[in-house]
Amino acid sequence: MLISDAQTFEFISRSPKQTRRLGARLGALVQGGDVIALEGELGAGKTLFAQGLGRGWGASTRLISPSYVLVRRHERPQDAQKIYHIDLYRLNTLGEIIDLGLEELFEAVQSICVVEWANRAPDIFPTDHLWVEFHWLDEYRRSLIFRATGERHTVLLRKYHKDLIGK
Amino acid sequence: MTIRILGIETSCDETAISVVEDGVHILSNVIASQFEIHAQYGGIYPEMASRAHIKAIVPVAKQALCQAHLGWQDLTAIAVTYGPGLPGSLLTGLNFAKGAALSCDLPLIPVNHLEGHLYAHWLQTGVAGAADGRLEFPLLALIVSGGHTELILMREHGNYEYLGGTLDDAAGEAFDKVARMLELGYPGGPAIEESAQQGNPRAFNLPRAWLPGTYDFSFSGLKTAVLRTLKRQLGPRSPRQTADMAASFQASVVEVLAEKTIQAAQEYETSAILLSGGVSANMALRRAARARTSVPVYALPPVLCTDNGAMIAAAGTWRYQAGVRADWELDIEPGLSWA
Repeated sequence: MLISDAQTFEFISRSPKQTRRLGARLGALVQGGDVIALEGELGAGKTLFAQGLGRGWGASTRLISPSYVLVRRHERPQDAQKIYHIDLYRLNTLGEIIDLGLEELFEAVQSICVVEWANRAPDIFPTDHLWVEFHWLDEYRRSLIFRATGERHTVLLRKYHKDLIGK
Repeated sequence: MTIRILGIETSCDETAISVVEDGVHILSNVIASQFEIHAQYGGIYPEMASRAHIKAIVPVAKQALCQAHLGWQDLTAIAVTYGPGLPGSLLTGLNFAKGAALSCDLPLIPVNHLEGHLYAHWLQTGVAGAADGRLEFPLLALIVSGGHTELILMREHGNYEYLGGTLDDAAGEAFDKVARMLELGYPGGPAIEESAQQGNPRAFNLPRAWLPGTYDFSFSGLKTAVLRTLKRQLGPRSPRQTADMAASFQASVVEVLAEKTIQAAQEYETSAILLSGGVSANMALRRAARARTSVPVYALPPVLCTDNGAMIAAAGTWRYQAGVRADWELDIEPGLSWA
């Protein structure tokens, strides 16, 4: 049974294209200061979702995997907001993760943080955030579970839910 | 008049400085690798990288001049990578270059790191299979490394067209991730290549993302397929299975890279193909490209495949001759791409 309440809902994506579209719909709603945490194993669709999010937001550059450089910054033409696409995949200790300077990025009002492998350091996230879990169902299908905590992201999630489901 | 350029490269994890004469003769090529620092992270770790650059840059510069038997006063200009790359790493190199240029009253030449990878092919190496500058335009270049996978059409000096690139993971990144899955260590490229020599490239049927009609690449699906296949195997993996997977994975990456590069070279009727970047040190990639075409496929000695100062000095020489100069306002551009 699908989970759905004010702060949580589950959505089944039936294809990589749909996962990207789901990201794009969220991208159209995010604003500076938002923190989106992505959790799921390799190949679950996190980067695809982040790419869609970047496109929906209007990034002038494609969001490619940040695993190698850990952080990639993206801009859009219309304002000074930025997306920081972050990957904690390779990091092992909390100290290494803190050294990345994420806390500053989380607090910056102009920056949207999209963090892959967020489960490597769940404690560094501000209490107000949107957490997305990706589960592998079969070769094409993935379950995406969205959990909002805090007022700001609960509002964001409600808008997103309405946008997707129409209610 | 002889042009002697000091090339400074710190865009990622190598502190590399070189002196190149007339854009072709390498007088020195010093590289302080941070390999041991980053091996424990299975890849680059930005904060550690910039700290290591700060420690290494002065001794590396001194050594580069010493090996070239030159002093600062013998230089014509200083060329420096200003992007793309890691912000902290780029800043160390750029600030050092500015300081040196200012105090020695030398022109400062800004160089795009990716352009450097192309100009490495103008350097004299004396190695079989290298172009050593015997090149005629147009040229087709494949830049493959941990951070980049791009096909570039070079019509003449300074004239580049981006034909395509990775949509998700860079080829080198895929090597690193699969090496990690197979517990082969870091960096993944050489580890997989070595293991693959004992394996059967047809042992596992892995996908190839052709993305027809484009010169783009995708290695994310391949990475996932490797993971799924490994998870399906019951019990501990034998060394044979590891080698077979390494060989099958490498074959999939190499086949797509080689095939699309050849297609582009044919479509644009280029006189040669240039392989650049760390992954271009892979012998299977070189063999696959050469087996598919009669167009010359040039590759570099390993030290010039990975990041180095000589390629920055070579690109800087061409830019110097074209009259390009940076002012003191020059800033890093971490996301720099092809103009």
